[in-house]
Amino acid sequence: MHVFVARHQTPVLLIVLLGAAVAISEVGGLDALQVTLVEMLIRVLVVVGLYVFIGNSGVISFGQVGFMCIGAYAAGWATAEPSFKQVMLQGLPELLQENQFSFPLAMAGAILLPAIVALLFGFAILRLNGIAASIATFAFLIIVNSIYSNWDSVTAGVSSLIGIPTPVGPWVALAFAAGGILVAHLFQMSRYGLLLRATREDGVAAKASGVHSVRMRLLAFVLSAALVGAGGGLYAQFLGILTVDTFYLSLSFITIAMLVVGGMGSLTGAVAGVIAVTVIVQLLRFGERGFPVGSALFKLPVGSGELGLGLLLALILIFRPNGLSGGKELALIRGPREMMPEGGAVAGARALQDDSNAVA
Amino acid sequence: MAALLEVENLSVRYGDLMALRSASLSVDEGEVVCIIGPNGAGKSTTLAAIAGGVRPVSGDIRLEGRSIVGRRPEHIARLRLSLVPEGRHIFGTLTVEENLQIGGYMLGDRAAARAGMERLLGHFPRLRERLRYPAARLSGGEQQMLAVARAVMTRPRLLLVDEPSLGLAPRIIDQIYEILLELRQREKLTLLINEQSSARILKFADRIYVLRGGAVQVEGRAADLRDGEAIHRAYFGFGTQDSAPAETAA
Repeated sequence: MHVFVARHQTPVLLIVLLGAAVAISEVGGLDALQVTLVEMLIRVLVVVGLYVFIGNSGVISFGQVGFMCIGAYAAGWATAEPSFKQVMLQGLPELLQENQFSFPLAMAGAILLPAIVALLFGFAILRLNGIAASIATFAFLIIVNSIYSNWDSVTAGVSSLIGIPTPVGPWVALAFAAGGILVAHLFQMSRYGLLLRATREDGVAAKASGVHSVRMRLLAFVLSAALVGAGGGLYAQFLGILTVDTFYLSLSFITIAMLVVGGMGSLTGAVAGVIAVTVIVQLLRFGERGFPVGSALFKLPVGSGELGLGLLLALILIFRPNGLSGGKELALIRGPREMMPEGGAVAGARALQDDSNAVA
Repeated sequence: MAALLEVENLSVRYGDLMALRSASLSVDEGEVVCIIGPNGAGKSTTLAAIAGGVRPVSGDIRLEGRSIVGRRPEHIARLRLSLVPEGRHIFGTLTVEENLQIGGYMLGDRAAARAGMERLLGHFPRLRERLRYPAARLSGGEQQMLAVARAVMTRPRLLLVDEPSLGLAPRIIDQIYEILLELRQREKLTLLINEQSSARILKFADRIYVLRGGAVQVEGRAADLRDGEAIHRAYFGFGTQDSAPAETAA
């Protein structure tokens, strides 16, 4: 029992934390915060999705937001007003054009379609290692953006896809964020998660231990795409309107920044990064709008939000290269499994050692 | 009966360099065979080729009579032909226990893997003490032991060990060979080991191949080579009794 609690406490703690934030805003009637809160929870789902692949495989992907785009449009196709679809999206299959599907079906599409695309695309690129793989994922983001910007009869091109019902509020977003955290946790505790981290640590040794690196990476890539796609589906049904450029460089940058700030070595890091970046950017935006200090109006220059994010990222990279979490997981009970320190300390220990001392 | 492992006329080329020239060797079930030779002799290349890490230009490699040339390393590992790579390739941020589990997953039998780990840790008391440590925190000798233990977790039919003594203090090397000897007796391991230093190996091995310039110079039973003369000649191109090196180039 103790072992069970110790093993699975992290996701529960993270979910309780996010749930408390939602509850406080609901009870306190902080309606102004609601939009920010829902966006934050959706980003938790997306960044946790990023973490499933990037954190465990060690391969940085710039393209996961492409799956968010695919998921968002899948949900949009399913739920937008038939009258809009019949006029603007004549390239869609009739079944989609003429019907308006329910929220659960739309979410199923937003999960399945990105997962299928990830399976096909991942099969092609996951043999690549390191920066080559990262560049290929970046190319994927550009490909998705080009297709969705130009396939007018299906995506409405650069004009917007409108008429999507918006059933997504804080509780729905929380439920999906919680689901994402649980999936990521179970994956990381599973043998597949462990085998994938083994390929991250040492490719030669992983092969010598019979680990199929490509297969493990592909599994995480598909799972990641499913989670990120679900985030896209939620986002579509939160905004009610979709444009392709929402899911491009700036969102890709901010989600990766969140993962880096939180620390890509742990699930806690992924969640903490979203919270930290959201809070800081919101505070700076608040400053940009101006607030009274005594009789004067204090106002930060426009663009402080972006600048602040850049500065935060630079500071983190300099002073805490493993992110806020430092690769550790949130835990109240110390389990039999000690937390794994990553990065600096380990790299130091890996350096040449005096064997006779260490063994004596 | 065919040998467990047969390597026949194996040649490997790295660009312009012929790393192996038609080398042949064999390992019988239960044997301990060592490949010795100076730097650049082709020892690591031989093991890498057997384990699927490099593709030979010609020649054949057979495990129990079946050719395994051209198979990918993870497939060969699944035939339970396990390589301990040179230079302690361990999974640094994972714990010692996780490192061992990864070796055991290949068996596909959790209970057997757990029992195997328990038995194996009997040979590696130092690893048992450090089960929850990140592997990168271990000393160099402990890391080498972990690399060996992880490979043994796969219950190999043949264990390939690439220079286990590399960069380790003599006392640690002795410990590692003691453990290998123990494993050989208790787990009935068949071993193919690469080494640079011959003295220790001559006591440890059943048979020896001396490799130089990518070709097998001498092969024979370790007992017959113990005076060192043949090995010295193979290593350096001249014997200890010769007055002067007439020709040192290969």
